[in-house]
Amino acid sequence: MEYFSLKRSNAADRGQANLSSKIYVRSTKSGKVQKIVRELYLRQDIPCSSNLCRACLDIAPTDYSKKVAPFVLSDTPAGSKDYPNGQYLVPDTNAFLTGMDLFEVETAFHDVIVLQTVLEEVKNRSLPLYHRLIALTKNEGKRFYVFFNEFRQETHVPRDAGETINDRNDRAVRKAVEWYNHHITEAIAARSKKQKRIPTVIMITDDRDNLRKAEKEKVPAVTLTGYVNGLENADELLDMMSSAQEQREVRSKKTEVFYPDHYSISKMMTGVKAGTMHQGIFNVSTYNYLEGSVHVPAFDKSLLILGRENSNRAVSGDVVVLEVLPRDQWKAPSTKILEEETLNKNDNAEAEDGENVISEKERKALQEEVKRVHGQTAEGKPQPTARIVGIAKRNWRQYVGHIDRDSVRSSSKTSRQQQTVFLVPMDKRIPKIRIRTRQAGELLGQRILATIDSWDKDSRYPVGHFVRSLGELESKGAETEALLLEYDVQYKPFPKTVLDCLPAEGHDWIVPASLENPGWKGRRDLRDLLVCSIDPVGCVDIDDALHAQKLPNGNFAVGVHIADVSHFVKPNNAMDKEASQRGTTVYLVDKRIDMLPMLLGTDLCSLKPYVERYAFSVLWEITPDADIVSSEFTKSVIRSREAFSYEQAQIRIDDKSQQDDLTNGMRTLLMLSKKLKQKRMDAGALNLASPEVKVQTESETSDPVDVQTKKLLDTNSLVEEFMLLANISVAARNYEAFPQTALLRRHAAPPKTNFEELTNQLKIKRNLELKTDSSKALADSLDTCVDSGNPFFNTLVRIMATRCMMSAEYFCAGTQAYPEFTHYGLASEIYTHFTSPIRRYADLEAHRQLAAAIEYEQLDPSLQSKAKLEAVCKNINVRHRNAQNAGRASIEYYVGQALKGKDIQEDGFIMKIFSNGFVVFVPRFGIESLIRLRDLATPEPEADFDPENYILNVKGDVKRRVELFEKVQVRITDEVEVSTGKRKVRLTLV
Amino acid sequence: MPREAEISLNEREFIKQALQEQIRLDNRAFDAFRKLELTFGEEYGVADVQLGKTRVIARISIDVTTPLPERKFDGVFQIFTEFSPMASPAFEVGRPTDAEVILSRILEKAIRRSNALDTESLCIIAGLKCFALRADVHIIDHDGGLIDASCIAVMAALQHFRRPDVLVEGERATILSVREREPIPLSILHQPLCVTFSYFAEGEIFLVDANLAEEQVRNAEVIVTMNRHGEVCQIAKYGGVTVNPLAMLQCTNVALQKVKEMSKFIQQKLDEDAKRRDAGGLMAELSAENAR
Amino acid sequence: MPLDTSTYSLALLRLDGRRWNELRRIHAQISTQAAADGSSYLEMGNTKILVSVTGPAEGRQSGQRGGSGGQAKVEVEINFAGFSGMERRRRGGGDKRSKEMEHCVKSAFEGVLLLHLFPHSTITLNIHIISQDGSLLAACINASTLALIDAGIPMTDYLVACTAASSASSTAADNASADDPLLDLNTLEEQELPFLTVGTLGDSDQVAVCVMETRVRMERLEGMLAVGIEGCKRMRGILDGVVKGYGKRFG
Repeated sequence: MEYFSLKRSNAADRGQANLSSKIYVRSTKSGKVQKIVRELYLRQDIPCSSNLCRACLDIAPTDYSKKVAPFVLSDTPAGSKDYPNGQYLVPDTNAFLTGMDLFEVETAFHDVIVLQTVLEEVKNRSLPLYHRLIALTKNEGKRFYVFFNEFRQETHVPRDAGETINDRNDRAVRKAVEWYNHHITEAIAARSKKQKRIPTVIMITDDRDNLRKAEKEKVPAVTLTGYVNGLENADELLDMMSSAQEQREVRSKKTEVFYPDHYSISKMMTGVKAGTMHQGIFNVSTYNYLEGSVHVPAFDKSLLILGRENSNRAVSGDVVVLEVLPRDQWKAPSTKILEEETLNKNDNAEAEDGENVISEKERKALQEEVKRVHGQTAEGKPQPTARIVGIAKRNWRQYVGHIDRDSVRSSSKTSRQQQTVFLVPMDKRIPKIRIRTRQAGELLGQRILATIDSWDKDSRYPVGHFVRSLGELESKGAETEALLLEYDVQYKPFPKTVLDCLPAEGHDWIVPASLENPGWKGRRDLRDLLVCSIDPVGCVDIDDALHAQKLPNGNFAVGVHIADVSHFVKPNNAMDKEASQRGTTVYLVDKRIDMLPMLLGTDLCSLKPYVERYAFSVLWEITPDADIVSSEFTKSVIRSREAFSYEQAQIRIDDKSQQDDLTNGMRTLLMLSKKLKQKRMDAGALNLASPEVKVQTESETSDPVDVQTKKLLDTNSLVEEFMLLANISVAARNYEAFPQTALLRRHAAPPKTNFEELTNQLKIKRNLELKTDSSKALADSLDTCVDSGNPFFNTLVRIMATRCMMSAEYFCAGTQAYPEFTHYGLASEIYTHFTSPIRRYADLEAHRQLAAAIEYEQLDPSLQSKAKLEAVCKNINVRHRNAQNAGRASIEYYVGQALKGKDIQEDGFIMKIFSNGFVVFVPRFGIESLIRLRDLATPEPEADFDPENYILNVKGDVKRRVELFEKVQVRITDEVEVSTGKRKVRLTLV
Repeated sequence: MPREAEISLNEREFIKQALQEQIRLDNRAFDAFRKLELTFGEEYGVADVQLGKTRVIARISIDVTTPLPERKFDGVFQIFTEFSPMASPAFEVGRPTDAEVILSRILEKAIRRSNALDTESLCIIAGLKCFALRADVHIIDHDGGLIDASCIAVMAALQHFRRPDVLVEGERATILSVREREPIPLSILHQPLCVTFSYFAEGEIFLVDANLAEEQVRNAEVIVTMNRHGEVCQIAKYGGVTVNPLAMLQCTNVALQKVKEMSKFIQQKLDEDAKRRDAGGLMAELSAENAR
Repeated sequence: MPLDTSTYSLALLRLDGRRWNELRRIHAQISTQAAADGSSYLEMGNTKILVSVTGPAEGRQSGQRGGSGGQAKVEVEINFAGFSGMERRRRGGGDKRSKEMEHCVKSAFEGVLLLHLFPHSTITLNIHIISQDGSLLAACINASTLALIDAGIPMTDYLVACTAASSASSTAADNASADDPLLDLNTLEEQELPFLTVGTLGDSDQVAVCVMETRVRMERLEGMLAVGIEGCKRMRGILDGVVKGYGKRFG
């Protein structure tokens, strides 16, 4: 919407001297032209608000409760060289637009008169700046007064014929300044004849034409720079101004910079087929929202996409079609942190006609990058760079975020006017979304769910709509729901049709007593085995239980018993469909989002102690050296003797006085598990690390109490080893039975290029060599990565190495060749998931296949169709990844809550270095956080970045050298973000 | 045009006289409602309200349509009223009386304009698809207090209603049937309820919930719509005898108390209904989100 | 983007330069159409209304001559000129909103006019809205009062109406001055603020009409009512001046 405002006085023909009217012509979105006529009442009782003036006190307005607003402007304003008698400042619009930072400085810029004309223009140009200006007027110490010059008869300026709106506004400002000077002089004369100190009212403007006219009209005027020069701390302020002026956007009336058109589908298809174009999934960097990458089969390294123009309206996650740019335009990935929130914070949400899709600031930010890249070697090697020419498939989902307070025009809750506001998504890779809503006021401070509807080529941001509010920001309910939505976790109740699939007996279901019962058919009675389960504290969905027995021949009979979920969940019924969609149970800190209804998950299937349960057992004969003599699979009935927690089990094993069979069985298991582990390690299994912490919550309120790093006991490893063994055994058996359709899990060997950076970093910083030829070589070389002075260094390297790996995935045997089956991390030829059918759908499918393989039952047709299984794999791969991310995000949220109001110093390690910041990892809380240069000091200090040696030299007062892998002390505090009202964990260097 | 059977002069005087002596013909206190009953239908979104002899049924139904071009980001929500001739001889099909116009206007202002229902959450794909929610109010029996009863019926029905969940993938939206996905309640932002005050004796006496005879005798009415948070959503006094402004403010205090009682009553009935639907506590079994 | 009502608290000035308790410029005339039995033209700021009164006369429809119960019947018809609003579009009469306004004007005047003096007859008010800029119902009532006086139909007192709003935005809990109730709203203010229309009988505080369509905290009502009633009193003075001015001319 654009206003060609013309304020035309029709006072004469109205016969009333104090009435004027404002006539706007407004063009609406649909191209209609509307003429708006508004009344304007001119008056003489608008005070100057200077404490020097007595006359205005009499006319000062009173409100409903008969109170008079106190006068704002000081009677002894600060002076300067040129105006020793003190001065009141009247900045024009551009002065505020360029120098808002200056005006906010506490030590300067007092006694400022903000004219209505200026305020209106500022609002028109940038809503966020307008909000900052309003905040200034409410700051009593700053003494900013808003003078409604358009309503005061003497200062009202009608627009002349042929005069541009800018010229009229400039004239209005000069007129107001002139009146003010005159008024103040009179006021002082009226007060006392003697007083000589008459403050001058000065206009601040950078407009040359305006200055010239002011000089002609004898209106005191000065440029912003000129004014600042006269101040005491001029140098510091001038610094702030230069950066402010650089950032100022050139706003031209008519711009033709749109996003390029997308290619037609047929053109893209032919292009991809011919190999001139490529297709892949667009991923945006978490550190730089203007940089994205797409992995395509034709290139080893991911294709790089830089800048808005090249990413051409693609949103992270979309399937895009790209064209590789000529080699001379290839660039290196950026080493700079760019955040949309800071770069474009002054944008208006209301779309404007002449909007540039690429802001000048963004262009600059990227240009600096390019300059740096030229003449770079080592790391800065240019990477194939591409531009997006079309979108094959949008993967827009619903996004969770909050409304940007600065983009809200009217925060009144009663106003039902539709306004456009920005939704800032939680996910930093997603651009701000323009949302049109009638309830902006109510949505402020809430977690909001929204979708993207479209992204037209003339709009810098995508347009979407509000879906619903999740509740207040920071509240547990809203944040939990937010992360479930963000990771697409289905948390709604199961549909009622699932009820029909549950056993009619409900919680009273028991293993039938009579062995004649069909339930017993094909089942082995293992009730007399001394079986027990070992799980985390408080676990209710017990998937697995174990036993070990010494055989007369000196070997051991070892059994892993898994909950027989496939007995209860029949293929293709409503419950099975629901479970296959959910894919996995999701564990949050205080919640569990179940894959199966509770009746099954925590009761009928769960291998609870002291009750009989159906199980699917894997039985081995193992030699004392942990070699497998034979293995056998059978459906069974077991009765678990005890459900231990890892800690309890450990205590029991360590307690020499316990010599019962159950405990001895566990000791046997432990002994065997250690040998098994050694064998795996010898084969080249990797010992990787992930930054895991555990949040302890108060049981009642589930408010976080403490954060602990996870401790691993021997019993953890005991259970893990036997589960791995069971999984491997089942994988082999299933593959043998169903070479085309067995559902397996693989972990591909990472391409060498993935480790390039880490290898280089280790070499330069620590002179260590990372061998990545095979998992064995990697495992061995990781063991050598130690720093005697820094015991955590090895873990840090392992965490970083983990991130270079591929992610493991489920697949259907027929889709890959046998050598591709290998599990890199476990160094196993073949692998599947079998041991947690209550919480993973893949395991349930493996159960069904195994049951068919041992001829317990017929295989359902759905498990014989490769196409169907592939679809299942695709879904559960996604679900699995999402579940892990959701769990991590939940921990992150709780860690944040636990740190609320705290102020702690902790050890941290530098993980990554950018040219304007670095990433610190704090193992104590498992947090990884960005520290930007501007967090170190204001104004942002300069820094020298040495990308070849991973060193950042911060200059200025901070004066500090930061390098990769360095151990630093950080101070962890939390602060409330002004713009969102959201609390954030904040790290600073000590 | 058929008319409401006019009340006789004698009766008129009798009612007035009794009120002067602080007595209502049905022996209610001046600030007492008649017996309120609320039942829900088998289907979601059907509420049957009985207020004394007055009976109103509201039914919510949902459909998918294209949003209005000027409201691309909003769903559609409409309230339709139908005065059946069986409720009163004064009602005629197809010719809305003043009373009917006022009733639908008040419901419109009280519920729609006050934003009781978040229509933006009914948008599926902006500009292409949205839910169209329709509330049909049927007046089954008329013994005064139609506005209050209708408002209760609509609000209760809205709170009772469940809409099907929808799955949006790009530009394709799939409405999931009740069997596939548990339907979800509407997003109700607040619960406005109407209280009608009737004035007698030149504005000196006021009653709540007048029955038909009292309505015919009254000098003026004030319809106040409030929610239990103490927000006034709508006030309508269209003429009639004049009233002291302080008495009007007093009305809002009385209304707040009544609205709180009614909200509680509706909530209680909703809970009872939920319990009835959840025979044997099976709903708890279906919850997917469980404490660890 | 022009300023909105949130800037009121900065200098206690409204969007058009008025203070909280100021009416807009009011201009009124009576006996504007010779053909009608009574007529008036009223401007409240940019809201412009023309009213003509026919009657008391025999009813138009043969079946229902005049009102029942030995009283005259009041009929009201409101027309919106196609150019009255911001958008040039023809509004079909008989939508629910104008019907409600008709009902309101009708029942308000039924209580004020001495109808029992004219049994079996009909008094018809034709209200033409020429330009809309807020306070529409109030302006209709005021203009109708003038036209009915012009028609010489006896009534107990002037029925005058005014709008009042609460300027407090529910989010801003800052300074108390933001709580000022505002008098006589224009369209812009009506769109942004909760407001009510209040009509009183003559100089008394007695409320004859009170219509509020926006959600507001109940504590704010008192201030809004008080300011509205105060405005009505001033409005009565102005209308009285207009009537007396005409009286003088004929006297």
